[in-house]
Amino acid sequence: MIKILLRFAGLGMILIVALLVAVFVGDQGPWYFAWMVGTVMIVLISVAGAILFDTQSDPNDSKGEY
Amino acid sequence: MDIVSPWVVELSRFQFALTALYHFMFVPLTLGMVFILAAMETVYVVTGKQIYKDMTQFWGKLFGINFALGVATGLTMEFEFGTNWSMYSRFFGDMFGTPLAIEGLMAFFMESTFVGLMFFGWDRLSKGAHLAVTYLVALGSNLSALWILVANASMNMPHGGYFDPETMRMTFDSFVALIFNPDAQAKFVHTSVAGFVTASMFVMGISAFYLLRRQHRSFAAHSFRIAALFGIMSTIAVITLGDVLGRLDYMHQPTKVAAMEGLWHTSKPPSEPWLLFAIPDDKKQTNYFEIGVPYVLTPLLTHTFDKPIPGIYELQDQAGPRIENGIKAVSALRRYGEHRLQSDLEEFRHHEKDMGYGFLATRYAPDQDIDKITAEQLPQVVEKTKLDIFPDMFVTFWAFRIMVFLAMYFFIVFAMASYLSLKRQLEKYPFFLKIVMWSIPLPFVASEFGWITAEVGRQPWTVFEILPTFISSSTHSTGYMIFSLCGFLLLYSIFIAAELYLMFKFARLGPQTSHDDQSSRIIAAEQKS
Repeated sequence: MIKILLRFAGLGMILIVALLVAVFVGDQGPWYFAWMVGTVMIVLISVAGAILFDTQSDPNDSKGEY
Repeated sequence: MDIVSPWVVELSRFQFALTALYHFMFVPLTLGMVFILAAMETVYVVTGKQIYKDMTQFWGKLFGINFALGVATGLTMEFEFGTNWSMYSRFFGDMFGTPLAIEGLMAFFMESTFVGLMFFGWDRLSKGAHLAVTYLVALGSNLSALWILVANASMNMPHGGYFDPETMRMTFDSFVALIFNPDAQAKFVHTSVAGFVTASMFVMGISAFYLLRRQHRSFAAHSFRIAALFGIMSTIAVITLGDVLGRLDYMHQPTKVAAMEGLWHTSKPPSEPWLLFAIPDDKKQTNYFEIGVPYVLTPLLTHTFDKPIPGIYELQDQAGPRIENGIKAVSALRRYGEHRLQSDLEEFRHHEKDMGYGFLATRYAPDQDIDKITAEQLPQVVEKTKLDIFPDMFVTFWAFRIMVFLAMYFFIVFAMASYLSLKRQLEKYPFFLKIVMWSIPLPFVASEFGWITAEVGRQPWTVFEILPTFISSSTHSTGYMIFSLCGFLLLYSIFIAAELYLMFKFARLGPQTSHDDQSSRIIAAEQKS
C-alpha cells in the first residue's frame, strides 16, 4: 500500500513539474500552436494507452479483472 | 432614469445568460467527444480490431444526439445580438460580425458535411478516408468554437479595430490582430480542452457504470483506458490555460481579477493569501469569514513574489481621473458630431482612451446628458460612477472558486483513473467507479461556472472599457422580454429533457456489439445461477 502511495506521489510530482514547466513556457505562448501540438499529443497518448491495454490482456483468462 | 429601462437591460442579460448556459450544456461534450472518437477510430485503423470500431460507433451515437441539440440551441444566440442587443450590434457589429459569419460557415458547411459522412460513411468510405473524415469533424467542431471565442475575446480585450468618430462605431481594421488576440488564443485552448475533460469524464463515467454492472466489461475497460488518459492530459492543459487566462486578466482586466480573488484592498506581496473561502459583501465592500493560504496569490497570479495586485478601492481611485477624461471625450464627441470642428475632434482624440468611462458616467448626468453636468455636480457624478466600475464580487468570486476546486478534483480523479486502468485494477475499487460515474455532470458545472466568471467578471462593460452594458441593449418593453424569456426557457428545457432522455436511453442500452466479452457472459451466468 505504501509502495503504491509512493509511486502515486512520484507520478503526481512529475505531473506538477510538467504543469510548472507548461506555465513557464506558457508565458511566451503562441497558444494556437500549443493547441495543435497538445491535441495531437493527447490523442496519441490515449491511442498508445489503448494499444498497451491489448498487450496487457491475457486471452486465457476468461474472468480476467479490469 | 436610464436611456434603456434597467429592467430591459437586466432581462436581456438574463436571457442571454440563460441561452448561453443552456447552449454550453451541449458544446463541451461535442468539442471533446469527437477527438475521443478520433482516438478510438485511430486504434481501429492501426490494429484492425472490431472492438474499437464498435466503440467509435457507440460513443459516436451519443455524440450525434448531443451534436444535433447543440447546433439547435446555438442558432438562437446569434439572433439575440440583433434582437436584444441592437445598440451593441450597431456599435460593435463590424468587429463582432466577421468571426460570427465565419463560425456560421464553419458550422453549417464543414461540420455538417463531414458529420453526415462520419455517421453514414462507414460502408461507403475506406478505413483511412473515414478516419480522415472523423478528424475533419473534430477540427471543424473546434474551429467553430474558435470563431465564437475570437468574437468573445474581442469584447474582453478589444484588438483589431478602432473607434471611428465619423460613424460613431467601432471599425474593423486587422483580421490578424483579431484572430491573434492573446485572450482569444488562451480562451480557445482553455475552452477546447475543458471540452476534452468533459467528454473524458462522460466516457469514463458510463464505462464505470458498465463495469459496476458487469456488463460489456471489455468494451467498458477499453473505453475507460482511452478516456482516463485523454482526461488526465486534458486536465493538465485546462489548468495551465486557466493560469494563462488569469494572468492575462491580471494585465488587462484588473477589476475582474480583483473580483475573482476577493480583493477590496491592494494585495501585499508576497504574503497575500489565496482565499479558499470568503463571503464578499458588495454593498459594504468587505469580506466576511476569510480563510486563505498565505504566500500563494502573488506568485500564482503575477508569477513574481513582489508585484502587488490592485484591489477594488485602488482601482476606483484610479478610475476617478479616467471618468473625468471620459466625460470630456464624450462631450467633445457630441460637439464634433454636431459641428464637425477640428478642435473638438482633437479634444476627443486627447481623451479617447477613456471614452467608455464617459459613457458610464452618463447614467448619473442630469437628463442623461453629459453636457449638463455642472462643475459643482462633477465630483458627485464621478464618485457615483466609481462605484459602477467593478463586477458583482460575490458571484465572480464564487463562480471562479467552484471552477478551480472542480479542476483540482478532476486532476485527482483522472490521475487515479489512469493509474488504476494502467494497473488493470479498476474493478477492485467499485467505490471509485461509483465516484467516477457520479462525476459525469461536474465538468459541465465547471464549464458553466467558468463562463459565469468570465462574463460576470467583465461587467459593467459589454466591450471592456469602451461600451457599458446599460447602453448596449435594445429598447424593448419589459413585457416583450419576459414573454421571449419564458419562450426560451420552455424551448430549451424541452431540448435538455430530450437530450437527457436520449442519452440515458442509449447509455443504458449499451453497445450492440458482437463481442459482449466472454467474461461478462460467464459472470452474468454465475450471478443468475
